[in-house]
Amino acid sequence: MIKNRYTKISFFLVLIFGIGLFYIGTDGFTAFTAETARVQQLKDDKPKFPDVTLEDSMGRKYSISEFEDKYVFITFLYTSCTTVCPELEYNMKQVYDKLPSTVKGEEIVFLSISFDPERDTPAVLNEYKDYFKSDGETWRMARIPNQAQLDSLLKAFGVIVIPDDNGTFAHNSAFYLVDKKGSLMDVMDYKKIDEAAQKVNNILERGESKL
Amino acid sequence: MNQSFYGLLLWIFLVAPPVANFMESVMVIHMHMQMPMLVIAGMLMARFFQKRFSGFFEIWNSNGVPGITLFIVIMVYWMLPRTMDEALTSHLVEGFKFISLPFLAGISLRDSWKKLNSFGKNSIIISFTVLFLGLGWLYIWSPVQLCNNYLVFQQVTLGWGFLTTSIGMVVYLGYNFFIDPSAYE
Repeated sequence: MIKNRYTKISFFLVLIFGIGLFYIGTDGFTAFTAETARVQQLKDDKPKFPDVTLEDSMGRKYSISEFEDKYVFITFLYTSCTTVCPELEYNMKQVYDKLPSTVKGEEIVFLSISFDPERDTPAVLNEYKDYFKSDGETWRMARIPNQAQLDSLLKAFGVIVIPDDNGTFAHNSAFYLVDKKGSLMDVMDYKKIDEAAQKVNNILERGESKL
Repeated sequence: MNQSFYGLLLWIFLVAPPVANFMESVMVIHMHMQMPMLVIAGMLMARFFQKRFSGFFEIWNSNGVPGITLFIVIMVYWMLPRTMDEALTSHLVEGFKFISLPFLAGISLRDSWKKLNSFGKNSIIISFTVLFLGLGWLYIWSPVQLCNNYLVFQQVTLGWGFLTTSIGMVVYLGYNFFIDPSAYE
């Protein structure tokens, strides 16, 4: 009888331990994969866009301060990619098309950043941008020629890029929104185009009413 | 004492950084070799703890239910895609893996298994079979990459690892159900 009581107690202790373990391990039953955990962490941390030199499809070089007082809508890609990147960029184009033309270039700039600077030269990017009818001005495609700087950006924004043997990369994809002061303010699901466009629109409207 | 010593050796071998790094570099080895071997190391070491603290197990795990529950909790926890990822990126989580699998799951499995009746044993095996089928399905047919640190084809390999393991367990259950060993003695 007494033995049984102890076993009951230990059973409940184990249950409480288990619930606690899963609660902590999944951020309160919300993040079961590292990707969801990563996105939540980024939204909480709001990291600054590091001081890196971008080189765009026209060969212009500048840092993120080029876009001061504008929101920047960012994706990460490489042009030799045949799987996710074209879909990612096509979805980005749809978000771009859904925004009123008055804000583009004024309030918000679209920026696709390549993490394959070796192959994605300005000329390659220039050709690639035409597939998506990007104008190279309000929607720019750029590489970061300096590998150390590129790594610092990927690390800050939690972009994981694994090169494999065939010259391709495995990588996670999302829409990133950087605010007017250069801090990451949101990470959005790149498959939910309407939701992303709606969100950006709301943010832009709110920003204008504050002025 | 002897088997506990070998268990300890196995554990030290598995924790050694070169071995650990190699095993963690391939997803299916990470999940289906390193993790079970850590549990086995714990099961071997269990003898030492059972002798040393026999009263403790007798009182707190008299019918084996708390122990087997602890085993299930730890096993399911390490099957979450996220924990496997974090074991690679966070030393704290990796450390917890090396402690929890042998000392929480392995020891409690060894101490509890004999105390369970055959209904309990079969339900555990059946639940793990269903779980492995589910996970196999998830890892093979998942449209997204579940783990950031592994490529998708490794994810699919892991899925097949789960499916084949569950097939193995189904065969065992069928054998247990249909064949009476005493008939062959």
